[in-house]
Amino acid sequence: MAIQHWRIRDRYYRLIGSKCTECGAEFFPPVYKCKRCGSEKIEDSEMPRTGKIMTHTELHEPMPGFEDQAPFHLAVIELTNGARVLSQIVDSPGDTVKTGAKVRAVVRRVRVDGESGQILYGYKFIVD
Amino acid sequence: MARNRAYITSVGLTKIGDHWESSLLDLAVEAARKALKGAPKLKPQQIFVGNMFSSMAASQEHLGALVANALGLEGIPAFKVEAACSSGGSAFNVAYSLVKAGAIDSALVVGVEKMRDMEGDSVSKALCMAESAEWTQFVGATFAALNALLARYYMEQMNVTRDELSSIPVIDHANGVNAEHAQFRKAITPDVVARSAMIADPLRLFDCAPTGDGAAAVLLVNDKAASGPKRNLVEVLAGRVTTAVFSLYQRKDMLRFTATEEAFKQAMKDAGLSPAKLDFAEVHDAFSVTGALSLEAMGFSKRGMGSKDAAHGKYNLNSDLSINTFGGLKARGHPVGGTGVYEISEAFLQLTDQAGKNQVKDADYGVTQNVGGVDTTSAVHVFGRAA
Repeated sequence: MAIQHWRIRDRYYRLIGSKCTECGAEFFPPVYKCKRCGSEKIEDSEMPRTGKIMTHTELHEPMPGFEDQAPFHLAVIELTNGARVLSQIVDSPGDTVKTGAKVRAVVRRVRVDGESGQILYGYKFIVD
Repeated sequence: MARNRAYITSVGLTKIGDHWESSLLDLAVEAARKALKGAPKLKPQQIFVGNMFSSMAASQEHLGALVANALGLEGIPAFKVEAACSSGGSAFNVAYSLVKAGAIDSALVVGVEKMRDMEGDSVSKALCMAESAEWTQFVGATFAALNALLARYYMEQMNVTRDELSSIPVIDHANGVNAEHAQFRKAITPDVVARSAMIADPLRLFDCAPTGDGAAAVLLVNDKAASGPKRNLVEVLAGRVTTAVFSLYQRKDMLRFTATEEAFKQAMKDAGLSPAKLDFAEVHDAFSVTGALSLEAMGFSKRGMGSKDAAHGKYNLNSDLSINTFGGLKARGHPVGGTGVYEISEAFLQLTDQAGKNQVKDADYGVTQNVGGVDTTSAVHVFGRAA
């Protein structure tokens, strides 16, 4: 996990996804081929940092590496350009995490890699 | 050239649950030997083993050769097929496709998983390997969390209540009571689901299939290998595997299980069968919401009506369409790589009148649906009594 994190750290820090230069559709996570028009003319594109919650959950039984954060909120977020992000929602009172709530991206510690001790950072969202 | 036909001659099942005294291989061999007893003179030409995470659970890969060797069948081609929780159904599909194409006359398919030797959080990690390491595992989303996101969306978009969502697990447990190989043999009510521990809001413990050890096996043959009367055989009428947009949240419509839609549509066309002819369906309900959306994807319920129809009795044993006749994933259990082969074995038991108290009256046709990911891969097979 740690090596993957370094390879794509710009994407985790700056929400860099993909833009189709043929039809203009934007995607996060990045794609190799446009999901809308099928073009392979794809370039990196920084996503808008605001959007709204489409659906959400509070996770009580986490995976290894996330125990100290549980329970925590996860949400599918639709960004203002239509791209979708799966992310944790943090620093927000539980009753504000609801469908339709406006959110914005922040950079936070994601977890500490158990083997290397490396601290991994990435995007999370807060309710605005 | 005459059209090849494919038949199941026999099946072998282990009870699903805690098998502390048995290894992954012990379970696979037990199920395989039971299946092979159905055709004692036959030596299968190939072996396919459906399994998802033997490397994590048992430090073991190379399952094809391992199982072949243990059965004294070394020498024949043998493979592991992996497609997350649809590994079993996908392994069967490869075998079926080869028999149907005339490339081989017979095959042994074994689906096996050993989950109970792992701690719960390790199982969560292993299951989540069906999803993207970089984008889903990275943010800490377990498989239950993904299905919880889906469940909330389903309930909010389709006005589905808590009790309605519980209706498919309730059917599963009702059917599991009389299923000898089932992990849980106790009936439940919607209230039991609603009061169980919260896993990922709104999904509770009884919305989720349990972890368990288990293996199932089927012996597949063509006309040539199935010499003699076909009376006690089951014909595989069709089988399709399809895939969808990989991650649930990237799909245009999160509430459409397009992999199952396509696999089911294609398989029914191949079988030349109208869905109304089906007497039972073994549905991949790893979570209550996935059961509902699967019923909708196969057209048995209208959109948004899967759970509601189940709550109104549409899918009880011996209703027009019986579902999960031995308890489904929730009560029979879900040893992930084995599940698809359990479903197919259950179809065999129904269509050879060996289902005991779970027998669907006058069952002539049935369908199995086995999913990997959140309907990312779907393996659908259609079965009928052999003529």
